[in-house]
Amino acid sequence: MSSSPAVIVLESVSKRYGSKAIIHDLSFTVGKGEIVGFLGPNGAGKTTTMRMIAGVTVATFGRVTVAGYDMATQNADAARQIGYLPEHPPLYDTLDVSAYLRFVAKVKGVRRAAIPVELERVTAACRLEAVVRHEVYKLSRGYRQRLGLAQALLGKPEVLLLDEPTAGLDPGQIQETREVIRSFGADHAVLLSTHILSEVTLICRRVAIINHGRLLAIDSPSGLERAVEQTNRVTLQVTAPAQALREALLSVEGVSSLEIHASPGDHAVLTVDCQVDARDGVEALIARAVASRWDLHRLERQQPTLENIFLKYVKEAPLPGEAA
Amino acid sequence: MSGTLAVYQKELSTYFRSPIAYYVVAVFLLGTGYFFLYNIFLTGEATMAETFQNMGVLLLTLIPVVSMRLFSAEYSARTMELLLALPLKPWQIVLGKYFGAVTMLLLMTVGTLIDLVPLYLFGTPETTTVLSGYVGFVLLGMACLAVGQFFSSLTQNQIVAALITASVLLGYVLRSLFGYLSFALHFADFIRGLVRTEAVTFYLVVGAIALTLNASYLQWRR
Repeated sequence: MSSSPAVIVLESVSKRYGSKAIIHDLSFTVGKGEIVGFLGPNGAGKTTTMRMIAGVTVATFGRVTVAGYDMATQNADAARQIGYLPEHPPLYDTLDVSAYLRFVAKVKGVRRAAIPVELERVTAACRLEAVVRHEVYKLSRGYRQRLGLAQALLGKPEVLLLDEPTAGLDPGQIQETREVIRSFGADHAVLLSTHILSEVTLICRRVAIINHGRLLAIDSPSGLERAVEQTNRVTLQVTAPAQALREALLSVEGVSSLEIHASPGDHAVLTVDCQVDARDGVEALIARAVASRWDLHRLERQQPTLENIFLKYVKEAPLPGEAA
Repeated sequence: MSGTLAVYQKELSTYFRSPIAYYVVAVFLLGTGYFFLYNIFLTGEATMAETFQNMGVLLLTLIPVVSMRLFSAEYSARTMELLLALPLKPWQIVLGKYFGAVTMLLLMTVGTLIDLVPLYLFGTPETTTVLSGYVGFVLLGMACLAVGQFFSSLTQNQIVAALITASVLLGYVLRSLFGYLSFALHFADFIRGLVRTEAVTFYLVVGAIALTLNASYLQWRR
C-alpha cells in the first residue's frame, strides 16, 4: 500500500455487459505522487478499468472514486481532475493541432487568458512545437500519440490515466514520453497501462497485474520479484558428456533440478538450465564444479524478470467459470 | 454553459473544414434558385408559396446529410471517448452539436434571401407571408435536425444514420400516414401566412423530445 493519500480508489468494482462479466471484484488504489503500472494480456480488462476510472463508462457494482468524487454520479466534476489518454488517441482530424488543444482546454475550464500559456506548456512537454499549425490528419503516428498525451496534460489534472502511451513511438520518443510521465508522476497520481514490461520497471513504483478481469497481484516491481524467487535460474554452456555433467551439477549444493539440451549450431556444446535456490554464490559453486573437468563457455545467473513474473501470474491464474 | 459553447465552436470549425458543408449549402442554394425561377416564370405571380414547398422537400433530403455525422463520426473516430471523459454533461454535448447544426441551417436560409431581390424589384409580394414562410422553414429544419441528430447517436455508421433519418423524415411528410403529426401539415400553415402557436409549439416539442431522447441515450450508454 502507498503511504500517500489515495487519489484513485476502486472498491470491489465489477463490470458486466449484459450477461458477460468483464471485471470481477477489482480493488486497488493509486496515491498522489505515485505511478502505478497496469499489466495484463490483451482482453484482460485493462481498458475497461481505465474507462471506468475516466468516467466514460459506469461500474455495474462497486465504487470508483477519483479525487474524492464518485465517478457514477459526479463524473463531470471529477473530469476536471482527470487527464485521460485512451488506447486510440481521440483526435479530430479536421482541426489543426492548436485548435484541437484549445477546444480541450476550454472544455476543461482553463481560463481564456491562461490558454496560450497552457498550450505552450503541453506542446513543449510533448515536443509538438513543430506541428502546432498542422492539421491533425497529416500527423504521423508518433505525433498523434503525443498530441493525445498533450490533451491529457491540459488543465493540470490531479490524475493521469494513460492507456499504452508509448505505442507507436520510436525509441527516442519513448524515452522523452517516459520523462514527461515520470516528471508528472512526481506529484500526481498516474495509472499507466502498457505491454512493455521494461517500461514498468523503469518508471512505476507499483505494478498491478490483471487477467480475466481479476487483480492477480499488486506490489512494487522488487516486491514481485522477491515473491517469485523460484524463477531463479543459472544457464551455462559447456562441452562435456551429458550424463557425467548432470551428475556433477546435481551434486552441487543449491541446484534443485536441471535440463540439458544440445546447443543450436554446435552439438558438442551442451546448454544447461539449472533451477537454483535464491542463495548467493551458487553460480560460483557451479562454475567450480564444471570448469575443473570440462570446457565452460558461458555461465549466467538469470534474475527473475518482470517478464517471468508476469507470465507466471497470468499462466497460474485460474479461468473464472462465469466469464467463460 | 462554457462547455456547450466550446462544443458549438468545435462543431462550426469542423463544418467549415469539411467539404460536406459546402456541398450541402451549394446544392440547397442551387436547388432553391432553380425552383424559384421555375415557379415565378410558370405562375407569373410574385409569391414564395410554391418555392417554400420545394425548399421544404429539398431540406428533408439534405438534413440527413448534415445530421448523419453529428454522433456517428464521433463514435467511428473514437472521439466520443474524449467527450465523455471531459467535464461535459450529456445535454451540453447534445446542445453544442445541435446549435452548430442549426447555425448551418440558418446560413442556408440566409443564402436564399437573394431570391427576394428580384421578387421585390419586379413585384409586390406580401411581406408577412414571406416572413411567416421563413419562420416555418427554420422551425421545420430545427425539428428535422433534432430528429436526425438523435438517429445519428444510435449508430456509428453515418450511412445508416442518414438512411434512417431520411426514411423517417420523408415518412413524416406524408399527411395520410401521420395525420396531425405530419411535418407537412403544419408547414402548410406557415406558407399560407399563418404563424399559429399550435404549429410553432408542434415543431419545438418534436425538437425537444428528440434532443431529450438524444441526451438520455448518451447517459444510458455509459
